[in-house]
Amino acid sequence: MGLTNYLEVNINIKVEYSTMSLQKRLLSVILIITFIFFILLIRIFTLQVIQSQNLQIKAIDQWVRMLPLSANRGKILDNNGNILAISYTTYDLYFRSREIKNPVEVATYISNLLDLDFQKVYQKAMNTSVSENLVKLQLDESVASTILQKNFDGVYFSENIKRFYPYNNSLSQVLGYLTIDSEGQTGIESYYNNILKGTDGKYLTQSDVRGIKLNSSLNYYTEAIDGIDIKLNIDINIQLILENVLNQIVIDHNPKSVSAIVMDPNTSKIIALAISPNFDLNEVPRDDVSTLLTLSKNTTISDIYEPGSTFKIFTLACALSEGLTNENEHFYCPGYRIVDGEKIKCWKTTGHGDQTLIEAIQNSCNCCFMDLGLRIGKEKFYDYLELFGLGSKTGVDASGESSGLLLDENIVKNVDLVRIAFGQTVAVTQLQLLNSFCSIINGGTLNTPSFLDAYSEKNQSLYINNTTKKNRTVSSEISNKICELLVQSLSKTGDMSFIEGYKIAGKTGTAQKYGENGAISQGKYVSSFFGFINQDGANYALLLCVDEPSSGAYYGSVVAKPYAKTIFEEIIKYKNIKPFDSSINYKDFIVPNFINMDLNYAMQILEKENLYYEVDGEGDKVVWQFPKENTEVTRSTTILLKTN
Amino acid sequence: MAKKYNFDFLTLKNNSKEGKIIFFVTIFLVLFGVVMVYSASYYFARRTYNNQYFYLIKQLIGFILGFFFLNVLRNIDYNKLKKFGLISVIVSAILLILVFIPELGVENYGARRWINLPGFTLQPSEIAKFSFVLFASQYLSKNYKEIKNFKNLLPILIAGTIFCLLIILEPNMSITMCVGLIMLFMLFVGGISFKHFLLFCIPIIILVPILIIIEPYRLDRLLAFINPWVNPQGEGYQLIQSFFSISNGGLFGVGLFNSRQKYLFLPFAESDFIFAVIGEEFGLVGCILLLSIYFVLIVCGIKIAIKSKNRFGAYLASGIIGVIVIQTTINIAVVTGLIPPTGLPLPFISMGSTSIVVFMSAIGVLLNIDKQNNESIILFKTDKNFFSIKKVKAVTQNN
Repeated sequence: MGLTNYLEVNINIKVEYSTMSLQKRLLSVILIITFIFFILLIRIFTLQVIQSQNLQIKAIDQWVRMLPLSANRGKILDNNGNILAISYTTYDLYFRSREIKNPVEVATYISNLLDLDFQKVYQKAMNTSVSENLVKLQLDESVASTILQKNFDGVYFSENIKRFYPYNNSLSQVLGYLTIDSEGQTGIESYYNNILKGTDGKYLTQSDVRGIKLNSSLNYYTEAIDGIDIKLNIDINIQLILENVLNQIVIDHNPKSVSAIVMDPNTSKIIALAISPNFDLNEVPRDDVSTLLTLSKNTTISDIYEPGSTFKIFTLACALSEGLTNENEHFYCPGYRIVDGEKIKCWKTTGHGDQTLIEAIQNSCNCCFMDLGLRIGKEKFYDYLELFGLGSKTGVDASGESSGLLLDENIVKNVDLVRIAFGQTVAVTQLQLLNSFCSIINGGTLNTPSFLDAYSEKNQSLYINNTTKKNRTVSSEISNKICELLVQSLSKTGDMSFIEGYKIAGKTGTAQKYGENGAISQGKYVSSFFGFINQDGANYALLLCVDEPSSGAYYGSVVAKPYAKTIFEEIIKYKNIKPFDSSINYKDFIVPNFINMDLNYAMQILEKENLYYEVDGEGDKVVWQFPKENTEVTRSTTILLKTN
Repeated sequence: MAKKYNFDFLTLKNNSKEGKIIFFVTIFLVLFGVVMVYSASYYFARRTYNNQYFYLIKQLIGFILGFFFLNVLRNIDYNKLKKFGLISVIVSAILLILVFIPELGVENYGARRWINLPGFTLQPSEIAKFSFVLFASQYLSKNYKEIKNFKNLLPILIAGTIFCLLIILEPNMSITMCVGLIMLFMLFVGGISFKHFLLFCIPIIILVPILIIIEPYRLDRLLAFINPWVNPQGEGYQLIQSFFSISNGGLFGVGLFNSRQKYLFLPFAESDFIFAVIGEEFGLVGCILLLSIYFVLIVCGIKIAIKSKNRFGAYLASGIIGVIVIQTTINIAVVTGLIPPTGLPLPFISMGSTSIVVFMSAIGVLLNIDKQNNESIILFKTDKNFFSIKKVKAVTQNN
């Protein structure tokens, strides 16, 4: 058997020599194919198993189209529910012309509904060269939903959310503005951005390469959660009163800037805060970044200034608390004090002469307060300043707050101490100053000032911003006494009120400004007025600061006090606050001409008329007066005279 | 002998086991292709022709025609084809020239590859591949004894070169490559010396860079192949989309009709890149099965070649299998990013009626070779199995 096979094989190989070769080569072809197929499988394995996940991540990007669903930003309301900021949605109409099945029908309907030219709409519906054709911008929701109900293929809307501020320029620094991406940039919009903005939703759809939605069940949808409405302590009516008066100050005195804060002294709730110049929140000047930065800054919180005479209230509070003086004490002012060999002048260089404490407060006599400062001593004084919260942030709900500037206690010498006592070589923010004053007049509690009152979600009250009491500053007796002194000091004679029938207290301040080199800037002042009313359940504290008035007048009693009076009058009218004694008449006075008049004679006239006046200069002839001749003023107006 | 030529339409009683396997595998692949073409194309067809069955119908017509030709050729003695060797080469060459006549040729994607005939388009290059195989088989079987002589190789080389030149002018780099490789394959199987074989490889190695330089788009494609992520929206797009498609399949695939990439992301999803859709819908398991099926077809085909009763049959069967092997390998290698992208259909599966009819016809011829192997007296018993020869040798040596 074996032999025959062997022979057969040999015969065959001899006869068909290349048949063997063919077999061999075909079998080697099978080996090569096996090898190649093996390589192909390794490659497929690599793609489908090893690299699968990485490739999938990239692929999902093109398979899924994400449509953002924007959350409505919460409203900002004033304390009475007036809308200060509100968001609404507009709809931009687009055609994805490739998807439009009946361009004529679509174009006819759209052009009729929106009163557009049929030809133009039709052309857009037919223009398949671009993927999206804009048809109309900013449609209302009602119009958009009408069109959407028709269920046209290829007709799309893009949502745009607009923020609207009904009071335009009002509260521009307080409310702040949004970036173009609808994120709060400044003010309340920024500070409470997370509460206001809500959470955007998402709509993920499967689409083909052109973005056409597929009929697939794999659509993914998360609802947008609207932002929360917040209610501020702001009363827009008082805000408007403030802003009107500020505008008047700008007209009368052309200052660099002017600002005012109205606060509830018992709770430190900020009821109004106005700064001029301001800007229209509905037309934010985004092109001019530096101007916008200046205009949008809440300078009452972020900028510090030297307060001047208003600061004397702290000195008074310290001295009274420590029992270092009383109402009946007499102070003599020769026009200066010599402290550690240095002559420090009173603002009235001719001197106030002999005066009681009340008169010294009325006269805002620096000498008196220098004496008080020295009596208190720097350690005690600094302890008190710390209690009043000076030199540290108030913790107001706004960003960019400054803490003010106190000289380091260790380097304070007596000459510095006496200057601090009348409001120099110390810097505060306006809000800080007002808040600290409030602690003196409210019975001695220092609070944290606040803009926010409460916020609610779907009419359910969630959070109420309770005032945070920080510490006690003065006793209630001292507080009462200071209030009384300030009420008295506001009228020249002590019994005539600032506004007749109303118990209003206050203190003016005039501070020289320092340039960048630390030297006094000639002719640059900050004139201010701090005042408050506590009557008939109404409790308002006001700080008004006029920065660099340029009308010639700069005393707080001229540039700030009369306007503060207007503010209080308007608030009284708005809040219908009842006077103590309505029988007192309101007498007006027409200012005569004092120019070129002998100073003593002019003073006689003014004293006879019971008018409050201030004299600037050391000569004996009047060369300038404010208000001008024939101006009708109230009895509480300060007449300013300048001598040669 | 008369019985041998009985026209049996569906019965495969005269076919060997291998022949039966090939028949059913072919029918399976083509029908699977019809389903896959539909799956890959229905979205595109719905958007483009407003008829999601557009390509399904075309492919079914291709299947019916192909099935008809398969059965006809299965019942025609393949030896009769011998005399058509030269004629078919000439006819194919003429058809390839006709492509360039504006009235007849159809230009698509910047290439003239189709002839417009009433009712359908014909791709002559598909026919040319098999014409060349027929011619080469006929020539090699006649001249096998002197095949080691270089002079005797010239007719094959000339025919192959003419085809390559005509196809590259369309231009169609991939089928040119395919014809070139078939030429090498036929020469290798035909028993040429390894020295000559290596010599023929050299011009191909030289020609490839030249062709790339002539048409700059090929260089871009080559660069895109090396790193498709450089320009994912441009040159690299096709390959990246193919990767996305295959990788989406994972182990078991996303399931029939569930491909994401067919939503116009993957260009030529129903034709040259259908393997990517198969990979996506059936995963690694599906790919392994499909490659196994092709492998079974190839091995059965080669077995038929080995068992052939004459040289012409052996060469013809090898050539037919060679075309299938080369085209399948190139197609999958392109789709998986192993070689630079070229447009070459996956045999039996890709969209294209010419391709289907031609491949099914070729299988018909293969089945006839198989049929005759069984019907006629086997001249060389030991040809049946190479391994048995070795075994016999071993036995005799032991003795």
